[in-house]
Amino acid sequence: MRKPYRMLIVLTLLALIILAGCGGSETGTLQFNANGEDFVRQGFVSKDGWAITFDHVYITLADITAYQSDPPYDPHAGGEVEAKTQVALDGVHTVDLAEGGEDAPPILVGKVADAAAGQYNAVSWRMVNASDGYSLVIVGTAEKDGQTIDFTIQVEPDYTYTCGEYVGDERKGMLQKDGTADLEMTFHFDHIFGDAETPPDDDLNVGAPGFEPFAGVAQGGTLDVDMADLQAQLSAADYQMLVDILPTLGHVGEGHCHSETH
Amino acid sequence: MKWKWLVFPALLTLLLFPAMTAWAHGAHIEYTISMAVEIVAAYDTGAPMAGGQVTVYAPDDPATPWLEGVCDEDGRFVFTPDPTKPGTWDVQVRQAGHGDMVHIPIGEDMAMTGGGGYSTFQIVLMGACVIWGFVGTALFFLRNRREYAHS
Repeated sequence: MRKPYRMLIVLTLLALIILAGCGGSETGTLQFNANGEDFVRQGFVSKDGWAITFDHVYITLADITAYQSDPPYDPHAGGEVEAKTQVALDGVHTVDLAEGGEDAPPILVGKVADAAAGQYNAVSWRMVNASDGYSLVIVGTAEKDGQTIDFTIQVEPDYTYTCGEYVGDERKGMLQKDGTADLEMTFHFDHIFGDAETPPDDDLNVGAPGFEPFAGVAQGGTLDVDMADLQAQLSAADYQMLVDILPTLGHVGEGHCHSETH
Repeated sequence: MKWKWLVFPALLTLLLFPAMTAWAHGAHIEYTISMAVEIVAAYDTGAPMAGGQVTVYAPDDPATPWLEGVCDEDGRFVFTPDPTKPGTWDVQVRQAGHGDMVHIPIGEDMAMTGGGGYSTFQIVLMGACVIWGFVGTALFFLRNRREYAHS
């Protein structure tokens, strides 16, 4: 081949290589955190006056997916997330939301190192059964008027949570090229037990079973139950209240999620 | 005669003086037309989020609050977005551990929002231009060599 034509081919290849480099995708690291908030880390007083502290709150998460949704996902409307880009965190992850001290940061569930840069404004996940058969295990102590109850409450059902953008002090999910952004799966346990610092007629407390129904079925200062036990032992109204409130645990910060029970 | 030069200014002063007096006691209103956005925040029960904390994010810097404020007793908040920043304006309202975010498209047809990138056609066109640039350069040198060879 003549030398000038070789030069022509080399230059053309060079141009293609440069173009390929320009078209390379921009990626960063996307972290997925789970947060039981101060309610779990520091304990709180239930709507009916029980001072509750948590030793462990094991929650098992799967199918964790972040989306660059367009249009922005509306959890009130529900339905599927429409997204041009989505990132999945593979695997099933059991984390202890009570891990660490009172001021511990949210629990890192996992991270994806090659996530496309952009704004992740929606996230979905499933609460699934761990190998022990439970999606949620709450272990702690409740005290009221000198009475102490050590409790273990185990929840079997699977739940799917589909959420829009994180609502809180800062915006999350803004991933820059070569940067790191985080998303948070937040769980509001005051929805189960109520909160003494919130007015009794507030929706939060009206819809929460409180701790008194659980205390009522404890024996010898101990409560170790799953949902089947609770269905058998609680009043029908209290049990139904618990069943109704569990799907509302999942949030994104203070933002609500669309949920389904399986 | 020089006095004739004073007649016209004097008459003009007399004619305008009453009007100038009136201006001193008048009012003046200017107006500009702007597009205000009103949001109404409420709990699922319909109760207004009175005193809810409002944070507004502009489309050009979605990580930094553009405006912060508080809902009135009816959960109402009004703001006027900067018309030079078309795109989706995000408004977050929070109160007592609950909150929501609404996304308001404003003037998106006037400009492309950031991060939209180039269309496929634009990318192909730019690529073709770059390739042709290199090919053209190569042909130029090739032509010179041929000319040298013939000379």
